[in-house]
Amino acid sequence: MIWVSWRQHRGQAIACLGLLAVLAIYAVVLGDSMRTAFGQDGLITCLARSQGTGCPDAITTFTNRFGSEVNVAFWSVTLIVPGLIGVLVGAPLIARELEYGTWRLAWSQTVSRARWLTVKLGLVTGGLVVFGAAMTALITWYRAPMDRLTGRFLPNIYDFEGLVLTAYILCAFGFAVLAGLLLRRSIPAMVAAFVPWLAIRLVVEFLFRPHFEAPLTYTQVCPQNSPCFGGEGLGFLPPVTGHIGDWVLGQGGGLGANQVGNTWLYQPADRFWTFQSIEAGIFVLLTAAALGATIWLLHRRAA
Amino acid sequence: MIKDDAGGSPPALRTDRLGRRYGRVWGLRDCTLEVPTGAIAALVGPNGAGKTTLLEMIIGLLQPTEGQVSVLGETSHSPMTARLARVGYVAQDHPLYRDFSVADMFHLGRAMNPRWDQGLAQARMETLGIPLKRRVKGLSGGQRAQVSLTMALAKRAPLLVLDEPVSSLDPVARLEFMREVMAAAAADSGLTVLISSHVVSELERLCDWLIILTGGQVQLAGPTDNLLAAHRLLTVPRATSDAELPGLIIHRTDSDRHSSALVRTDPVRLAATDRPGWQADSVSFEQLVMAYLQRPSNATAQNSATQDDTARATARPGPTTKAVSR
Repeated sequence: MIWVSWRQHRGQAIACLGLLAVLAIYAVVLGDSMRTAFGQDGLITCLARSQGTGCPDAITTFTNRFGSEVNVAFWSVTLIVPGLIGVLVGAPLIARELEYGTWRLAWSQTVSRARWLTVKLGLVTGGLVVFGAAMTALITWYRAPMDRLTGRFLPNIYDFEGLVLTAYILCAFGFAVLAGLLLRRSIPAMVAAFVPWLAIRLVVEFLFRPHFEAPLTYTQVCPQNSPCFGGEGLGFLPPVTGHIGDWVLGQGGGLGANQVGNTWLYQPADRFWTFQSIEAGIFVLLTAAALGATIWLLHRRAA
Repeated sequence: MIKDDAGGSPPALRTDRLGRRYGRVWGLRDCTLEVPTGAIAALVGPNGAGKTTLLEMIIGLLQPTEGQVSVLGETSHSPMTARLARVGYVAQDHPLYRDFSVADMFHLGRAMNPRWDQGLAQARMETLGIPLKRRVKGLSGGQRAQVSLTMALAKRAPLLVLDEPVSSLDPVARLEFMREVMAAAAADSGLTVLISSHVVSELERLCDWLIILTGGQVQLAGPTDNLLAAHRLLTVPRATSDAELPGLIIHRTDSDRHSSALVRTDPVRLAATDRPGWQADSVSFEQLVMAYLQRPSNATAQNSATQDDTARATARPGPTTKAVSR
């Protein structure tokens, strides 16, 4: 059964390896020049001295040079890629058998369909976890110098480092497997799985993620008769809290009567792994629910 | 070829009041059958008669809505794999994985079947001249059918189920396929074959057991020879009424002066109506099948209730305790 699963998903495995290889070449070529520049710009000493508040100009220069990919187009691509990988692998898993009639062949051998499905799901899920982990490692390695300036909590960075990338892929995969069983056709199943996946992904990022834990408040006191410099806006580097990696959510409540300045709500950088675990947990639970429903439905269709 | 089943060993196949409903429509209903070990049984019926439904329930691909299937004693209560191990199945249109080679398909067979006979599979491919390295999508329809049949045979299951195996093949491939089925049955006298088709001519030489299914109901089932012996083609004057005919009228056609009627009857009743102008001929396999296929599946419209009961009784080899069993 393991051989059968491997033989059927061999093409997808090779495609995933190819994608990783392309990504690796890109990361090595660009990562190398980024590392060289990081060493030359005196950023290391400046960071060690002042947590980034002492050298905003150097940071701006560096991120302008290497951070240009953080724009809407790049963000859109990176947003949908994990979902696309998940549905491309997941939708045909059952739907293709139903489309081509090969389910009659697969399920009439001396293997119960519960075992057939469990082995397949186990192997493919395992493969996707390895693939997700490898992609995460590659991106994290590539971004390592940049992360020292930006931290890992900002939305477009958070989505690719840690646990959530793998969990996004798994969730899209689980939805697509279930949709494939229900719709019996690969392409409609891909669409039917991708749309709710994207909706959940965006809702979690924009509505839930900022509140996984209650945000902290930072009061920025400005000198009398002079404007506040050093990161008034969102996403400024270094952040207004003066600590690299803090995620500033927005302006908070009012100030005391005789104070001049702003209050900011933020999530401190050391909550990164807690947040990653919570968000990955949500998507892994959704995956488990979808795959559990698939196993149950297939078993029930004909015992 | 049919073994005597007096020893009490279970028949190769038994279904008991088997039924399957799709929404509000019954695809198959009240199907009670028995096929003895070693038989080559033809399951004949028009498209949509419920043949595939019946076969899929026999294999376990479809769960019955009511009733029971038993394959050599293994019922739907047995472990799934025990049931699957006893049936070799060639599905309609011979599904195979298109991007697999023939060798890959056999590798799959070996991986998924504990009693897989690799030697048999390879020897058959050699005889048929199908290269093992060839991809499935490069095979002709006839070759795919042969690979499907080989996979079902190499599984070494005592019951071989073939669902419309030749309907998509050209005449030469049909002939070759049927020859292979016959050779396989001859080589293993314990092998029971159940083959569904709406093409009657191919089955005549092959099958010693006949099941006719129309409209989701079994119309006739039993050893072919007995069934042929129990029917006569009567040629009578046109004026003869249905009631005068000895036995159950399956199909009647009227021409200018004569009527010909295929009836289910017995020698005693037949002898009683030895009248001048009447002629009784034995029926051919094809005549018998065609008469039943043309008969309205819900025979109550033209036939009286008693006749309908007779027809149902003949469809059941087992005890007909319909009212009591409820």
